[in-house]
Amino acid sequence: MNRTSTVARAGQYLALLGYLVFLAFPFLWLISTAFKPARELGSLHPTWIPQDPTLSNFRQAFAEQPLLQAAANSLIAALCAAVIAVAIATPMAYVMARHRSRLSTAATGWVVISQAFPFVLLIIPLFLVLKNLGLINTLSGLVLVYVVWSLPFALWMLAGYVRAVPRELEEAAAVDGAGRLRTLISVTAPLLAPGIAATALFAFITAWNEFFFALVLLKTPEKQTLPVVLTHFLGAEGAADLGPLAAAAFLATIPSLVVFAVIQRRITGGMLAGAVKS
Amino acid sequence: MRVRILALIAILTLLLAGCTGGEDSGSASGKIRLRFQSLAWQKESVDANRELVREWNARNPDVQVQYVQGSWNSVHDQLLTSFEGGEAPDIIHDASDDLADFAYGGYLADLSGLLPERLRADIPTPSWETVTFGKGVYGVPFLQEPRVLIANQKILKASGVRIPTAERPWSWPEFRTVAKKITAAMGRGKYALAWPLKEPVSVTLNLGLSAGGQLFHRRADGKVRVGFTAADAVVPETIHDQVNTDRTASRSTLGIGGSDTLPGLFGGKYAMVPLGFSYRQQIVQQAPPGFDWTVLPAPVGDAGAVQGVSPQTLSIAEDSPHKREAMRFVDHMLQPRNMVRLARGDWMLPTGTAALADPSLRVRRDGWAVGVALAQGLRSAPAPSVRGYPEWKDKVATPAYQEFYSGAIDLDELEKRLVKDGNLVLARYQR
Repeated sequence: MNRTSTVARAGQYLALLGYLVFLAFPFLWLISTAFKPARELGSLHPTWIPQDPTLSNFRQAFAEQPLLQAAANSLIAALCAAVIAVAIATPMAYVMARHRSRLSTAATGWVVISQAFPFVLLIIPLFLVLKNLGLINTLSGLVLVYVVWSLPFALWMLAGYVRAVPRELEEAAAVDGAGRLRTLISVTAPLLAPGIAATALFAFITAWNEFFFALVLLKTPEKQTLPVVLTHFLGAEGAADLGPLAAAAFLATIPSLVVFAVIQRRITGGMLAGAVKS
Repeated sequence: MRVRILALIAILTLLLAGCTGGEDSGSASGKIRLRFQSLAWQKESVDANRELVREWNARNPDVQVQYVQGSWNSVHDQLLTSFEGGEAPDIIHDASDDLADFAYGGYLADLSGLLPERLRADIPTPSWETVTFGKGVYGVPFLQEPRVLIANQKILKASGVRIPTAERPWSWPEFRTVAKKITAAMGRGKYALAWPLKEPVSVTLNLGLSAGGQLFHRRADGKVRVGFTAADAVVPETIHDQVNTDRTASRSTLGIGGSDTLPGLFGGKYAMVPLGFSYRQQIVQQAPPGFDWTVLPAPVGDAGAVQGVSPQTLSIAEDSPHKREAMRFVDHMLQPRNMVRLARGDWMLPTGTAALADPSLRVRRDGWAVGVALAQGLRSAPAPSVRGYPEWKDKVATPAYQEFYSGAIDLDELEKRLVKDGNLVLARYQR
C-alpha cells in the first residue's frame, strides 16, 4: 500500500515536472534566442545555451524602436485599467453577491454573455464611440476600452470571492455596533484583499498584453504600446527579425513577472479563499 | 488608508491627464499634415523611408508628413477599422493583393486623375494591372519580388547538373530530373529541395503562370469562375511528385514558412529553397561564414519566364482632404533615385523602369542581376483582384493544396475542391 502510494506520488511529481517544463519551454527558448547572434539563429542544430552570447539583439532592438516610451505607455495603460476596473468591480461584485434579486441574476447573465462576444465584432462600434468622445489616439481612450473589456470577468471573479466571505462575520460586526460602511471597510475589505489583488493582476496582464485595440486606437508612434511596437520586428509571410524581436519580447515579459512576483502570495491566498466555501 | 487611496487616485488622474490629447489636426496651423503609414520593417528599409520623409519635410514646410510604422501582420483589420471610423492614414503602404476589398468598398481614392504623367509612364502596364480594379487605379505599385531558387552553390556544382540562368532556366520536367540527380548526389536524409508551403496558394498560382495556368477565368458577363486545366496542374503535380514520388523534396517543410527552411539550407540538408527575392537579406545576415550561395531563376513552362506578383503599393485614403498633396508626396517617394533606395532597403525589385536600370541593381553580388533579368516577366498575380478571393484562398484553396502536397488527396479531388467548392464561394460575391 505504502509502496503504491510512493510510486503514485513520484508519478505525480514527474507529471508536474513535465508540465512545468512544457510551460517554461517557450520562455526559456525566448531567453536563449535573445542572446544568440544572427548566425547562430540560422544554425541547423540549435543549442539551449548560446555558443557566442551577445547583447547586440538588445542594442538593435533599442536602436530601432522606442521600446522605453512604448513600455511607459503600456505601464500607464495597464496600471490605470487595473486600478479602475477593480475600483468599479469591487462594490458591484459585493452587491451582486450579497443582495440576491432579479437584477443581480440578470447582471450575472450579462457578465457571462458579454464574454462570448469576439472583440472584432466590437472594435468598429467602439472606435466610433471613442471618436465621438474625442478619445482616439489617447491613452485615456485605451484605458476606457481596457476597463470595459476586463470589467465583466473582474466582476464575475470578485463576486466569487465576496460569496466566500462568511456573511456571519458581517452580522457579528453589526451586532458589535458597526455600521454598514464600517463593516465593509474594517471586516469585508481586508478579507477580500487577496481576491482584489488577483483581479487586479488579471486586469493588468490583460491590458499589458493587449494588441489589437492599441493598434487600432493609437495613431501616432509616441503613443503606441509595447505589443504594437513588437510587431514592427515582423515582416510579411512570417518573416521576422528574430534576435531583436526575442530581446524586446523578453524585456516585455519582465514587468508582468515582477507584478506577479510581488503579489503572488496574496493571489495564492486569494485563489484559496475563492475556492473554499464557508 | 484613505490618504493612500487619495494619493493613488491623484496619481492616476495626473497620468491620464498627461496622456489625453495629442490629436493631430489636419491643417490647424496653416500647415497641411499628412500621415504616412509604412509597413517597412527591416532596418535598412525603415531607415530609407524615414530619410525620404525627412527630406520631404525639409523641402516642403507647408506640407508636413508624419511617418507611422504599421505591421504586415494586422494591416488589413487595422485599416478596415480606421476606414470605417474615418481615421485612416492619408498615405497607405500595403500590397496589391490586399487592396481589392478596400478599392471596391470605396475606402481608397481613385488615383487615375491624380497620377503625374512621369510616374504613369515609368511603371510598366503589367504592374498597373495589379492595382486596377474596375476602371479605377487604387495604388501605385513600387516594389515587387519574383520567386527564385536560393541554392547551395557547392552542392549544385558537385552534383554536376546544368546551372540555369535567367536566359536559359530549367523547364518544369527538367527541374524534376535535376532534383533527382542532386538528391542522389547528396546522400541519405538530404534533399535537393525544401518547399516552404505554409501559404501554398500564392506560390502555386504565381509560379503556375509560367506553365500557362490561369485558374481564374473572366466570362463574357464579367463574372469570374474557377476552371482547372492541364496547365493549372503542372506546378502542383511537380511539387506533389517531388515530395511523394521522387522524394527529392522534404515533406517536413510543407507546413513551414521560408525563414524556417534557412537553417536546413545553411546546414547542407537542402540544396535549394524556392523563396521570395527579398529573403536574400536574411541569408546575408544569417549564413555561416564561407557559405557559398547563389540565386537561380524559378523553372518555366510553356508560357515562358513569367510569374505572378503582388507588388507593394502606396495608396491614398478616399477620406483624405489633401489628396493632391498626398500624391505629390508619393511622387517624391517614387522618384527613380528614391525607388532604388527603397528597393535596396527591402531587397526587392523596383517596378519603375528608370529605377530598374540603375547600375547599383545590376550587379551580380547577392543575386541582384538575376532578379533584374526576371523583372520583365512579372505579371499581375492571377487572383487577388477577384472578389471573394480571400475567402476562396482561406477556406477552399489552402487546405486543398496542403492536403494534395502531403499526398492525402489526389489531383481529381484537388480539382473538385478548387472548382466546385471554389465557385460556390465566388458565386456569393458575384451575384
